[in-house]
Formats: sequence, C-alpha cells, structure tokens
Amino acid sequence: MNPMDTLASAWYPDCARWPAALVCAALILAVSAHASDTSQIRLEQLPQQWQDDQGQALSLGALGGHCVILSMSWSQCHHSCPTTLTRLRRMQEALDQRNEPASFVIIGYDPDQDTPANWRQYRANRGLERANWYFLTGSRQNVRQLARQLGFEFWIYDTHVLHDPRIVVFNSEGSLSATLTDASGDWLASK
Amino acid sequence: MQSTKMTLRSWWSCTAMLLLCAGLVAMPPAQAATNTDKDAAIADMQRKLDESLLAIKALSERVRELEAKQTSAAAAAPAATAANAATTAAPAQRLEATEQRVTQLEKADASRKSADSGLPLHGFADVGAGTHNPINSALKGFYVGNLDFYMAPRLGDRTRALFELNTEVGSNGTVGIDLERAQIGYQFSDETTLWLGRFHTPYGYINTALHHGSWVNNSLRRPRFLQFEDNGGIMPAHTVGLWASGTQHAGEGKLLYDVYGGNSQQIVGGGLDMRNAGSPQFNLAAGGRIAYQFNSGKLEGLTLGLHALTARIEADRPVSITRLRVYGGYADYDTDQWENIAEIYVFSNADLGGSSGSHRSNAGFVQFGYRLPWGVPYARFERAVLEQSDSYFAALDGGGSYSRAALGLRFDVDLRSALKLELANTRATDRARDQYGEGLVQYAIRF
Repeated sequence: MNPMDTLASAWYPDCARWPAALVCAALILAVSAHASDTSQIRLEQLPQQWQDDQGQALSLGALGGHCVILSMSWSQCHHSCPTTLTRLRRMQEALDQRNEPASFVIIGYDPDQDTPANWRQYRANRGLERANWYFLTGSRQNVRQLARQLGFEFWIYDTHVLHDPRIVVFNSEGSLSATLTDASGDWLASK
Repeated sequence: MQSTKMTLRSWWSCTAMLLLCAGLVAMPPAQAATNTDKDAAIADMQRKLDESLLAIKALSERVRELEAKQTSAAAAAPAATAANAATTAAPAQRLEATEQRVTQLEKADASRKSADSGLPLHGFADVGAGTHNPINSALKGFYVGNLDFYMAPRLGDRTRALFELNTEVGSNGTVGIDLERAQIGYQFSDETTLWLGRFHTPYGYINTALHHGSWVNNSLRRPRFLQFEDNGGIMPAHTVGLWASGTQHAGEGKLLYDVYGGNSQQIVGGGLDMRNAGSPQFNLAAGGRIAYQFNSGKLEGLTLGLHALTARIEADRPVSITRLRVYGGYADYDTDQWENIAEIYVFSNADLGGSSGSHRSNAGFVQFGYRLPWGVPYARFERAVLEQSDSYFAALDGGGSYSRAALGLRFDVDLRSALKLELANTRATDRARDQYGEGLVQYAIRF
C-alpha cells in the first residue's frame, strides 16, 4: 500500500470527526441562540401590574434604584421552594452585612393558589415580614410572560405547580445582572 | 492522494453547508418565520423588535459618545456643558421612546403566545425492579411502569380542560392506553369550578392529590386498596359525571368542598369499570367530601376531611347487584418537614340482588414521611378487613383482606427525577393465607 494512502486512511477518520464536531458545536450554538436570551432584560420591561400580599398594586419598575432579587414560587410547595427561600434569606443576611439595600420579590406561579391572602399567611408563618420583601400575585398572562422573559420554566399538574428553582438579580440600574440556578455558585462571593 | 484531497474538499464543502444550515437555524426565529405566510405577522413583529433593538444599541453608543464628550468638555469649559446636555437629551428621549416601543412589542408578542391554545407536552414516567411486581405480586423482576401524558389547555378566563393519557403495562405484558382523566370545566368564581367528564373521584386525600404521576408521589406506590381500578383497587377511583369543587376562606384556614354525581360503576372480569360511555339504565353514583385546611399556628399544614359515596354496582362474576356505601375520613399534615397522611374507609354495603343482607368492612392506612434536603424517608402501615360474603368484594380480584407494613425512601436524583426504594411485608388474611416480603426499586421522572 502507498504510504501516503496509509497516512491518508489513518488521518481520514480524524478528519471526519472534525467536521462532525464542528457541526455539533454549531448546532449547540444554534440551540443556545434559540433559548430565551435573558441577558438584556431590564426590570421595567417586565410586566408591571402586580398585587402585593396586602392587595395593593405594585409595579416592578418602582423597585428600581437598588438591587432587586426576584424569584418565582408556589405557596404550597414543599419541594424546592423552601430551599430557594433559605437561599434568599442568606442573600438578605449577606447584603445586610454589607449594608447594601435590596428588594426581594417573590412572584406566585399560580394565581388561583398564590393569592394575596395566601401570601400574607405564608409570610406570617415563615417570619418573612420585612418591608423589602414583596410577595406578588398577578394575572395568568403576566405570570406567564414574566416567566418566559426570565426563563422560569413551570407547568401546572392539577393543583401541583412543577417548576425548577431559579433566582434572578437586577442591579441598581435595573438590568439583569445574574441568574442563579440550583447549580450556581455563591453569587455574593463573585459579586 | 488526489482522492483524499477530493474527499477532504467534499468534507469541508459539506461542513460549510451544514454550518450554513446551523447558522440559519441559529438565526432569530422571526427570520425563518418570514418564509411562511402563516407566521408573517409574527415575523413582522419580530423584525420590528430586532430593528428596535438595533436602534437602541446605536442610540446607546451615541449617548455614550455624547456623554464622553460632555464629560471632557465639562472639564475644559463648564459653559459648554449645557449645550452638550441639550444635545444628549434628544437621543435620550428617543432612546426612552424606543425602549417603550420595544416593551410594547414584547408585551404584544407575549400576549399572542399566551393566547395560544398550543399544548406543551408534559408528563411522568417510571420504571423499576423488584422481588415482586409492585402491582401484581405473582410477577418478579424488572418492569415498565407508567408513561403519563398530561394536557391542560387554557381555553379562556373561565373555561378549563384537563386530559391525562396513561400508557401502562398489564399483567400479561401488553401495553394499554387509558384516558385516565378527561374533564372540561367552567370556573364560576374563584371559589367554585364545575367539571364535566371523567375525573378522579373526590374521596380521601391521595385520590385527588397524587393522581397518576409517580414522581409526584413520595412513596413508591399507593396503598393496595387505593390502587386504581385496573391495578386491583377496591374503590371507584374514577367517576364519569359532573363534579363541583371549591374552596372558601374560613377563619385562618380554608374550607374545601366537593360534590359529584355520575354513572354507577360496574364490576367486569374482577375489576371495577367506570362505564365511560354510560349504561343501558342510568344508575346514579353520588358523593361528596368536605375538609378544613389549617393555614396558621401550630396546626398549619393540617387538613381534616370527611367523605361519603354511594353507587349501585352490578357485577358479572358472580352476578350480583350491590348498593355500595362508603364513608370515612382523612387527615393530611403537609409541611416543609412532614408529609403525614391517614385515611379510613368504612363500607356498609347492601346486597340488592340476593338475600345476603348488609355487610360491614373497613380499610385504612397511615403514612409518615419526613422531608430532607435530598429526599423523603417514609413508613406506612395499611390494612383492609373486607367481608368476603359481601358480593361487592367477592366479585373483585383485589377484594381480599390483607395488611402491609412498608419502609421506603425517596431520593431526589435531581430536580426532575427520583429514585425510590421500598421494603414491604404483606400478609393476606382471608382468601389465600399468604405472606411475602418485597424489595422494590423505582426510577420516576417528570418532563
């Protein structure tokens, strides 16, 4: 056999792998491009009509001027939401130590179950009554829109809301500056 | 060598084509959408959005330039600052206007999407293995559990629909598809919804709280007597009819209520059948449930309820007609730490076709579960004392008395999958006096 052919045949499989790898990479990039891009979201671009747990209207844009930490939750959740709340509490403690003001916003996934009255009870039961914590109820449309804009995935199975934990952080300019999932590291340490 | 070059060339050509395709795929959806008339409106909206974003970017850069100039000018000549500020103000206003436009476009786009009645596919699946099959103790080894598809299109502010399609493997290995739930409802108020169709009969806690998705249930399986009809359950877990369900705030808690009526079930081939298509002679099955849920204080998370149901059940083997009467109660203590459930059922059945009279039976279970960050260990004891001279239980394959003690563990592998283990000891106490131990594993997911 011609040594060059041997070389070619030995090299060819690798050569074949490279395009495949490049195509895979391109496809991954393509899929990533289709995934919801939340990086340029601003606080005032989110739906603004919400009710707090006292039944008062509240606009997210009104919370600007300092850091806003936002998550979505289901008031009946005993699975991932307690962990998310613990994480939010720790963030609050750390921000307190740094003397940095922040608003904590929790938006209910299911307007049927996450009503202002239920949130009021929820706050009281869990000692989450600081004035800078807001538990909000919105219309179904606003909830879905906000969830889509910020990448919160959820679906409702009868009376269960199935969702993943996620926290997003808006900086004092109102721009989305961090997205924390279950796998994220310590946001404050990297801040 | 020439051929190798050709091959390489063709590979790179091919790669370039594929990359081009991938690039096209990677382009914003709106650009692809322009190729179809159907999505023309969406594409137009997206195009406007893209243009607006580009405009914002350009304006932002311009503002930055002007601000930089303003800063340097301010240092050099304070008098010039006012002029620069005036120059900056115009783009800033335009920027604000464009941002508002983008927000409006995003809102319009989102509302269009939310108005879609498109159905995202969600559901559950589970597989497992055991020294006995969790449903049919005569079988051993590996098994395929359920593949459950759930669809709940939102059709308007008040109209609701819910469908649950479950594929499951029967004892003989055949795969069957069951429309487990098919209900369309109207929400009259925040408190009351009226459903028509096939629904989970509202009794106890488990039947309307945990449904078919194994992942939702912390334990590996339901108590045996509360299994679904085709898995040997003795309760009519599904009803085809009309169901009013609601909640009402009362004191520091909530009052929950359900009232329903529908086709009386029948027993065919040893199992309950819910007469999906009706029956030659309509016989009413009816029942209700009332419960109070404590939402504050030391009792927060506790729900106490009562339930009752009646139906006229015809059986084919042996032929019989029974007036089924069931009543009972339940308690559920569901908090961030505990998931404790207890249910009790008392049967007071009457033989309508023969002369065996009335019979009393009972069944119940208690389950304790403790939530840990990684999962839920649980313990359950269940027992059914079922009168075998009652033609209702005599006609059911699963109508024998038994007791079962189980210890289990749910381990959350990740947010969407759970591995469950259960060790159980079951003792049959009348039909065939038998006792067997079980070691079961189940891998359950949601998607």
